[in-house]
Amino acid sequence: MNAPDAQTLLPVSGHGVFYDGRTAAHHDVTVELAPQTLRMHAEDGSVLAEWPYDALETHSAPQGLLRLGTAGNPVLARLEIKDPRLIAAIDARSTPVDRAERIERRLRGKVIFWTIAATASLLLVAIVGVPLLAAEITPLIPYAIERKLGDTVDAQARAMLDTDHQGAAFKCGNAANQRAGRAAFDKLIAALQAGAALPFPLNVMVVRKKDANAITLPGGHIYVFAGLIDKAQSADELAGVIAHEMGHAAHRDSTRTLVESAGLSFLFGMLLGDFFGGGAVIYTSKTILQTSYSRAVEAAADAYSVMLMRKIGGDPRALGTILTRIAGSTHPGPKILIDHPETPDRVAAIERLAGSGQTRPLLDSADWAALKTICSGA
Amino acid sequence: MNTTHASVPAVPAAAAPVSPAAGAARFLGLADAFWRLLARGAVLLMFTLGIYRFWLTTDIRRFLWSNTEVGGESFEYTGTARELLLGFLMAIAILVPLYVAFFLLALAFGETWSTLGLVAITFLGQYAVYRARRYRLTRTVYRGVRFHQEGSAWRYSICAVYWWGLVALTLGLAYPFAQSHLESFKMRYTFFGNLPGAFEGSGWRLFARGILLWFIAVVPFVIGMIGTIGAIDWDAVRQASATDLSAWLESSGVAGALVIGALTCAWFLLAITILYPIFQAILLRWWVSGLRFGEVAVKSRLRTAQIYGVYARFLAYALLFTLVAAIVAAIGAYAVSRITPYTSDTVRTEVITTALGLAAYVAAALGYSAIYQATVKLGLWRCVIETLDVSNVSILEQVAGAGEAASPIGEGLADALNVGSL
Repeated sequence: MNAPDAQTLLPVSGHGVFYDGRTAAHHDVTVELAPQTLRMHAEDGSVLAEWPYDALETHSAPQGLLRLGTAGNPVLARLEIKDPRLIAAIDARSTPVDRAERIERRLRGKVIFWTIAATASLLLVAIVGVPLLAAEITPLIPYAIERKLGDTVDAQARAMLDTDHQGAAFKCGNAANQRAGRAAFDKLIAALQAGAALPFPLNVMVVRKKDANAITLPGGHIYVFAGLIDKAQSADELAGVIAHEMGHAAHRDSTRTLVESAGLSFLFGMLLGDFFGGGAVIYTSKTILQTSYSRAVEAAADAYSVMLMRKIGGDPRALGTILTRIAGSTHPGPKILIDHPETPDRVAAIERLAGSGQTRPLLDSADWAALKTICSGA
Repeated sequence: MNTTHASVPAVPAAAAPVSPAAGAARFLGLADAFWRLLARGAVLLMFTLGIYRFWLTTDIRRFLWSNTEVGGESFEYTGTARELLLGFLMAIAILVPLYVAFFLLALAFGETWSTLGLVAITFLGQYAVYRARRYRLTRTVYRGVRFHQEGSAWRYSICAVYWWGLVALTLGLAYPFAQSHLESFKMRYTFFGNLPGAFEGSGWRLFARGILLWFIAVVPFVIGMIGTIGAIDWDAVRQASATDLSAWLESSGVAGALVIGALTCAWFLLAITILYPIFQAILLRWWVSGLRFGEVAVKSRLRTAQIYGVYARFLAYALLFTLVAAIVAAIGAYAVSRITPYTSDTVRTEVITTALGLAAYVAAALGYSAIYQATVKLGLWRCVIETLDVSNVSILEQVAGAGEAASPIGEGLADALNVGSL
């Protein structure tokens, strides 16, 4: 409230434009500032409306115009005033009329505080909550559904991976001159499967792809790239990597990644909306977040590989050997996007777990030589 | 309380006509105020990952609406950010089960279901467009009376999908008729109080005005694309081995096709860039001049040069921003390279640099978006309003209030589905 002496200098009546909310008719009115109410007199002197000061509400208007209504009134009656001195007089009498925008600024401050708080809590959910939730949900998914999911992902993965196109089939081991290789490969897989005794069937196959890598999809599909077989110098090295992938399958890691990915898509994509260029941001943040989850996951799969290789009498250290060889030969890309933890750390962990014990080669030299030809040209 | 009548103005305009400039429209908004709004909005959008958008959108609408004056009376936007947030939450409540259902169906019965899901989302998107328009209209108040919209949003959605499908199939030739039909649909069900709206823009008229643009931009593109495909000897492509790349490129005609394709795309992009303002001017003039509310008719004097001016301003600001952003990014990159040690933890270094890069990207994207809104959006709004001629404004005196405030669910769906905006 202004000081009384200031208030006495302000007018107590003036001109306004009134719309009664029932029609769009324009009424020029004389606004009278009565002690408790604001009165609008028509030209003939009749009172068109009378609003208590504390029921007033301001509405959006261009600069220099005060647009008033009454709070909670379903009829859109409006009073518009242009005279700055009359506006000041009404402002002085009514609490809700807020020309200095003090109320507005306090409310907006609250909004900003809570939206930033909400963002922080959503980020926390994305970083901590989603992985925890995915880990809880994944074991509950029946294998039959995981299998179906796997078949869909399998079709997509094939389309994505089958880019070398050299006339030969993407999947190796079916041509006549690849039979011997296939037999040796199946023998190796049978030994690993017998040791692992997983509660669901696996589908391990060799595909024509130059990278030294292997991937596991949901539903027990394991792709061993031909490039990995080229790089491997013994059956145990290959078996170590396949055992690592079987570890992912046993832990249902790819299914969990899928669940995590769905959760993050939901959080970032839908809840936060897509402001300009949001798509790219979402993609990058998802990649970073998922990469950070997968470090622990890779270590667990390494441990599984060591356990399985020891169980079937193979060399658990061979995984470390081949990892070192592959890491030495590939270009160091942007490391944040490489899912596997730094190789020396991994190899050290594998050595620690492997212990010392007698090992014998999983395949004899003839079988190993045959296996090497599984992707030979048709 | 003493009353002093000395300073009371002698009720000046009482005897004056409704407005000295009845029928004229003005835009009163100052660009400075809008820039401030957008700059603050961009910063808050960044720190709230977009949650602030409900408040920013409401602020923008309040600014645009209340500074638009027709016949001496300004519009009022009565929507609130709270309503938009609620609409968005309602949309989430509807869309999440829907997405989950289609995902599970696709999983159980195959890919057909995910295609069906996409179709359903397309229809839902157009439904949202219509409902969002309804929300905006019922939050638009002029002279104490609100606008409103009736009509079935599902019927609109079917019409819209049909017409946009036709536009795609005819390579844009059906566009004028799609616009005229859909705009008629919307305006037929639009009311200012009890005064019904209508749209009188004819599809053929727009067709006649735009056909030349279509010939310049689209026809060469289609011919070029056919030429590109025709230049390739498909048998040679299939037979060729990948051993000798240059020989293969020559013999199969792929080399020639690449050249034709590149030229076609270059022509198309150039034509679009140069002709787009002309297209927009034609469309805006046609659209505005077709709007009717009862006897109230509108005519647009919009000139094409004004639209070019708007885009020129955008380019100038965008260029300036790019320059400043590049300098800031360079200094930032240098500072980061000096601060973070390379040797110790490479992974941490890369997480930090990636995160900083991401932040820089978001800042740049929001910057361009703010520039676009302050130059193009505000510029077009101002041009369209200031070139309006409204006739028969006097009949507005007799309009009676009607219609209720509609639910914000359409806005929420449109937001969540990323369709249509202000």
